[in-house]
Parts: sequence; structure tokens; C-alpha cells
Amino acid sequence: MSLIDAFEKSATAAAATVERVARTPDQIAAAVARVAPAGPLAVAAPLYLPTELFDACRRLPGAFDARSRKAMDDCVVGITDAFAGVAHSGSICVCIDHDYAGFVSLLSRFHVAVLPAENIVERPADLFRPDRLNGDGLRRNFVFITGPSATADMGPLVRGVHGPHRLHVIVV
Amino acid sequence: MATPAPAPESPRAVANKSSKRTLLAAIRMALRIESPAVRRNTQTFNRNRYAATSALPDYDQLKDRTRAIKERAIAGLPELLATLEASVKRNGGHFYLARDAHDATGYIAGVCTRAGARLVVKGKSMTSEEVGLNHVLQAQGIEVAETDLAEFILQVADEQPSHIIAPAIHYSRERITALFKSRFKTDLPLDTGEELTRFAREHLRQKFLAADAGISGANLIAADSGSIALVESEGNIRMTTLLPPLHIAIAGVEKVLPSRADFAPFLELLAASATGQKLSSYTSIITPPLHAAPVLTNSDTAPRREFHLVLVDNGRMSMRQDPVLHEALYCIRCSACLNSCANFQTVGGHAFGGETYSGGIGGSWEAGTRTLEAARFSELCTGCSRCVTQCPIRIDVPFLNSTLRQRLNQRDAGKISQLFSSALADDGEVAPLQKLFFGRYDAFGRWGSLLAPLSNWMNAIPGVRLLMEKFVGLDRRGELPPFAKPTLVEAAKNRVARVSDPQAKAVIFADIFTNYGSPSRGLATLRVFQSLGIDVVVSDTCADGRAALSQGLISTAAGQARHTAELLRNYIEDGRDVVLIEPSVLAMFRLDYRRLLTGAEGQLLFERLRDHSFDAVEYLWAFMQGTGLDAAKLFPASRHPLGKRLFYHSHCQQKTVGSAPATEALLRAAGFDVATSSVECCGMAGSFGYKKEYYDLSMAVGQDLFQQVAEAESDGPRVLVATGTSCHEQLASGLKRRVFYPTELLAALRPQLDG
Repeated sequence: MSLIDAFEKSATAAAATVERVARTPDQIAAAVARVAPAGPLAVAAPLYLPTELFDACRRLPGAFDARSRKAMDDCVVGITDAFAGVAHSGSICVCIDHDYAGFVSLLSRFHVAVLPAENIVERPADLFRPDRLNGDGLRRNFVFITGPSATADMGPLVRGVHGPHRLHVIVV
Repeated sequence: MATPAPAPESPRAVANKSSKRTLLAAIRMALRIESPAVRRNTQTFNRNRYAATSALPDYDQLKDRTRAIKERAIAGLPELLATLEASVKRNGGHFYLARDAHDATGYIAGVCTRAGARLVVKGKSMTSEEVGLNHVLQAQGIEVAETDLAEFILQVADEQPSHIIAPAIHYSRERITALFKSRFKTDLPLDTGEELTRFAREHLRQKFLAADAGISGANLIAADSGSIALVESEGNIRMTTLLPPLHIAIAGVEKVLPSRADFAPFLELLAASATGQKLSSYTSIITPPLHAAPVLTNSDTAPRREFHLVLVDNGRMSMRQDPVLHEALYCIRCSACLNSCANFQTVGGHAFGGETYSGGIGGSWEAGTRTLEAARFSELCTGCSRCVTQCPIRIDVPFLNSTLRQRLNQRDAGKISQLFSSALADDGEVAPLQKLFFGRYDAFGRWGSLLAPLSNWMNAIPGVRLLMEKFVGLDRRGELPPFAKPTLVEAAKNRVARVSDPQAKAVIFADIFTNYGSPSRGLATLRVFQSLGIDVVVSDTCADGRAALSQGLISTAAGQARHTAELLRNYIEDGRDVVLIEPSVLAMFRLDYRRLLTGAEGQLLFERLRDHSFDAVEYLWAFMQGTGLDAAKLFPASRHPLGKRLFYHSHCQQKTVGSAPATEALLRAAGFDVATSSVECCGMAGSFGYKKEYYDLSMAVGQDLFQQVAEAESDGPRVLVATGTSCHEQLASGLKRRVFYPTELLAALRPQLDG
């Protein structure tokens, strides 16, 4: 199985949704529009992908410039890039101190992450190798995100707690 | 007879179990109130962990790597702490090494007060529970909001954690609904998991956005970079570390690893061992303070982020010097030893736990961070060993608990038991009478068999059992196995047949349980082996150390181990393999003798014995496969007088040493219809279920097994088969039926040799 296929399978098993889209601003914005619910939409500048790739997303209905707690708290859809994906666990890695990505990927109800296919590695341990991903995993402040936030503390498994209720990964 | 104290309803009332009386009250409370939720939730964790670890292609290698990293880290801890301090300061953070709980809470309260913090949000941290942080902050007028939903429940209920990763595991959804309805005035519906979660989310969201400070724990800390790893599924830790301008991380000193690259093997192993996931929803790898991330405010002036790493000693540096307990410092708090434990599954951490830490590993932690007496609950470790293969760092949890028991024995032994102790052995071990009785079964068994049937009649005399209950704490409801006469050794004398040109040579070890308690299991094995042309003899009997070890009589066990190993060495040198009837003895040979046979020569003795020892059916199955014998022809199940439908229960230690699958394979190959149990342990666990104070718990544990038998028999009865002696007794006492040893079943299908 290719790394992309393996990633898709694992991420889906972790209750994320995954689709593959061409790497153009319009295609990405169209993909977001297809899945995202209506409401305030925040876009964090990408770390790995060129900034222009998110330009069309910034023109989507609801898009706003979230720079305060209040604004961020209202955010329904949050778009970030992911500088790495992990095939075995279905995780994405989001740098949390690049622009507003840490907040957007956490405070929104619906997180859309754009993942460059060439940055999918096999195992989480690969993030800690100097020869992979420019050694970003050894330097960056980041989070492995594996599916939406969840809890079993209230009895049955519930998806959607403090973090996003849904995670959609767009592999480009 | 002391009248039992009324069972208190409040877990707080039984948090401190320094006295046995409180421990027993806690067990009663847990069995009455918390058991159903604990059982369901721990067993779910347990199943998920087995699935997740088997999906890790390099599970064993990962365990080797994490073990090696932890050993290195704890050995070099003082140097690592110095490196870490420099790294944190270089990053622009503050580093504080707290001597004890008072020091840690005082420092954190000072930091919060100086920052003018009025509201603190907290992620789950067992270390903060250990030092009692919340009370200190609240005393300063600071509001503390626990944001992990389980900790939130506990804060509302004012209870201590009952599990190290799921602190409110003892709460069912129904009990949470009742709790919230009584404590909160809300119109929101609270009748499902979703509704309860939504309510807590709304409530805590306001706290996150308004918080002046966030306090988190840390799962792993890297000395080289000051990076920390934080594992969670709800998102509350990310909120706690990212939103407020002040972040304080509190952790035990043992969490420090040499480098950030060392995190690599831990992440998947921790997730799989803890919640049974490939990774939990969020695993953050950060090097605080997060200067590059903007501090979100609603005003124009954004303060600069401040970070403090507070590492807590509180007894850990002394644990590091302890010849045995230092191993507990390798713990990464995954809870596999809790979830794989049959006793824990039945009562949870409010009975099998102290004020903070719970389960098999919890005793060492309570002893290390509080007092030895605070570890009294570690009595609930039966030594079943199911956690040994489940620990991702390969910590020998049962041995830690045997050591705690040995130390508690020294304190608990009264004058009379000291006299008995020195009469039984001159190895310096002293222990209370009950521990001596069960730990020195060899001595009692010898006299019991010599005096049988008199000794068995005595057991049946009204009043004798009452006296035994009073003096040695043997529950009078348990059915004592009668002392056998003749013993296995005596009975085997006339049955050893010379085999010319044998294809295999073996010696059956006459362990004390088989020899004095159930020689028929050994004789059946002898007969089956002889019928296949194996040259087999029966050894002398001697105590192997299992009973002594289980009662914390470690020096006694070590002496017995040496004697046993030397006895069997002669047979091995004669070209014989050692065959064990009793799985708990096989586990001694394969696992525990490594610790009991000390010195280089002791290790050689251990390795030799380990490599030549086999479970009886494991040996038989290997022999049949090696010689091409057909099980269906040798043991045609369809001709069995009892029928071919079986229920097979494998012994806990048999599962751990991996000898259980062979029995299932052989029985199936012979044509039996085999249903199996999936419980970790039957609940009897050697002598545990005989003890007056644990009889009810033992039977409660057994309910899962009895239920599985009932389910397997929904379409008709089955013959009960079990390998362990104590499992026999548990099944026989719970179901009032005869239980067969595998070779007893097979012997019925072999022609009589010599009558």
C-alpha cells in the first residue's frame, strides 16, 4: 500500500475524513466549500505550502481575520496546513506557533488541514529523525492530530470535546 | 471476631489505607458502588490495548528501546537535570526543582500570585494531585478549574482519582448525570454522554478564554532541548498550554529523558498501552515558552508568554537509590498494569489504590512519595503476573509488590509470629501468621499429608475452621483442598517403568501443591507420557518458593529457589527436561528465578532451568509434533466417556509465560470442541481467595469466569478443564462441579499400562 493510501485508511479509522485534491488555490477552496458548514471561517498562513495556495480560501463566505480570543472563540471553520502526515497512525502534524495555526486548529469546530502528499511519513518516530522533513519534527512546536477531539470520560465515546468536532484532511 | 466497620460512602474517607481496616472498608465500598463501571471501562481499555499492541509491528523492539532509554535516564538523572535546567533557561523559561510537595506548591502559588492570576486552568496531572496543588492555590484565593473531563467530575464530586489515566473511571454515565444535576443549576439536558460533554464544554470554554494561567503536566521531557510531550484526547491540554500568558508544567523528575529524539519510541507505545490507540487525538511536542505564537487577548496590549517547569522530587531521588523500587521510576503512567489486573478490574483504584496512585504500580509510588504504610493496598496484587508482559517498559510489577509486602511484614509481625518465623527458617524473614501460613505451605503440607486423613478430619470438625479463620485469617467459606495420601512422590514410586530406547527423557517436578494437594494430576501426566514411550521419572518434592514469594517472604523464596534449582540440575545433566504440573511453578522457573538466583553462577543455574522447563501439555504437544504423532489417533475425542465438549480455562501465569496455546492446540487437534475463557485471572490467585478479608473480592472477580462458562454452555454442558490448582479450586467452589487437569482428561483415552 502506498503511503497516501495507508494514511487515508488510518485517518479514516481515527474518524477523520480524507480527500485528495489538486494543488491549486481554487481546487482547495472548492473542497473546503463542499464540506464546511456555514459560519465564521479562519485561515492560518501555511508553514510548508506557498501562502498563495490559501488565497481563494480567504475569499470564501464567512472568512474573517481572527486575531482576538473573542473572534477565535466564534470560529466555526479553521483552515491550516499540516507540515507532515503519518501513514501508520493517520495523524497530521500542525505547527502550533506559526501564525495562528495553533488557535485555528484548536478553537474551531471544524478543522480543515491541507497536507502535501510528499510529506507523509510512515511512523510517528520518523518525525524525530534529522534526515526527514528537514528535521522540522526535531525543531518545531507541533501537535500530532489524530482525528477529532474525543472523550470517554462521560460514559460512552463522544467525539468533539474542547477541540474540533470534525477533522477533514485535504491531501494535495 | 471484630465487627466490620460500616462501609463509608465517600471515597475520600478511604483514601488513606495505611490501616487494614480502611483497606477492607474501601473494598466493600468499591464492590457495592463502583464495581460495574470500573469493570466495564477497564475491560474495554484492556481489550483495546491487546488489539493496539498486536498492530504494532515492532512492539517488542519498542519496549526494548524505551526500557534502555529509561534505565539510562534514571541512572544519569542528576546530570540530566543540570542539562535540562540550562536548556529551559536558554529557551527563556524558568526551571525549579522542588524538594517536596510543600516546596512545589509554594513555588507555583508564588508564581501565580506574582502574575496576578485569579483563574487557573489545569490539565490532568497526577503529580499535581500528589502534591495537593489545588488546595494550596485555592487557599490563596485563586480559582482552579480542572479541565480534563474526568478531573472535572472529580473536582465537582470532591474525590481522589481511581485510575492514573482515567481518574473518574468509577463513574457510570448515570452517576455523572445524577452528580451534575445535584451540583449545577442548568436547563441543559444531561442524559447522554453528548449532553454531558456539551455542558462541560460550554462551562470550561469560558474558563479557558478567561484564564490567567495554565498548569499542565508533562508525559516526557527532553534534557537537551527543554521540549515536552503532552498526550491527551480532549484538547484541554492544548488550551491550557496555548491560551493563557502564563504556562506552568509540573512533573516528577523521573519524566526527564536525555534528548528529544528519545521521544520517538515512546509515543506509539504509550498510546497503544494506555487507550489502545495508534496515537491519541493530540500529542503535542513543544519547547515552551511559545514565544512565536501570539498571545490572544481582547485588548491591544499582548503580554509576553511566561513558562515555568517545576520538577518534583518528593521522594523520587530516594527511590532512585532503592535497590528494588527504583524500577518504578521507569513507569510512563500508561495504566496497562491496572487494566490487565483482574482485581483492579473488579474494584478500581479507590480500593486498589492510595491517595493518588493506583493499581499494581501504584503501591511503589505511594510508598516512594508518602510512606510504606500508604502502600498497604498493594496487598491486592496477587502476583498473577498478567501485567508483566503488558508493561511497555517491562517493569516487574509483582516483584515490586512482593518487596513492599516483605517490608510491611517486618512492621506488622507480632511477637508470636516472630517466634513462628524463626521456628520455620533461619533466613531472617518475619511475617504475620497469615503470611507464614500461606507462605510456608510446604511445611504445613508435609505435616498435613503425614497426618492425613486425621488432618482432613480435623478440618471438618466444627470450630476448627473458625479457629483457623481467627488465627491465620483463612476464610471458613473456602473449601480447603484435602491433604493427599499417598503423595505424588509416594504413589509414583511403583509406577516408574523403564523405557528402552526412549525418544525423550523427562522428569516431573513434584511441586508441593501437586504432591500434597492433588497427586492425581501428576499421576495422569506420568501415565500419558509413559503411554507415548517417554522415559519419565518423578522428582523429590521441595518448595519452589512460589508460596513464600507471594507472601513477601523473599529470602525464604530465594533459599527454596536455590535448593529446587540444584535438585533439578541433576536431572537436566542426566539429559532430562523438567515438566511442570503447576503453571505458577513454571512461571517461577521462567521469570522469577532470574531475581531469586543471584550471582553469576545463580544466573547460569536460572538460564539452564528456564531453557529446559515446560508445562506438561506444552511438552507433550512439542513431543507429538516432533515425532509426528497424530493427536486425533492418540486421543480420539469422540470416544471420550465425558464427551468432547470442553470449557478450558488457562491459568494467569500460564498465559504470561506463553504456555497456554499449546493445550488449546492439542485439545483441538484431538477433536475436542473447546470453548475458552478470556479472563485475566480466575480470582483465586494462589492463596488470595482463601484469606478471610479477600474472600468476597475473590469471588466477585470469579463472576466473570463463571459467566463465561454459563455463556459457553448455552447450547449444552461442557466438561471443565483447567491447568492451575487455584483455578480448579475457584471453579469448583463457584460452580460446584468437578474440574479436570488436561492430562487427566487425556489419560482416559490411553490404554492402561500397568494398572
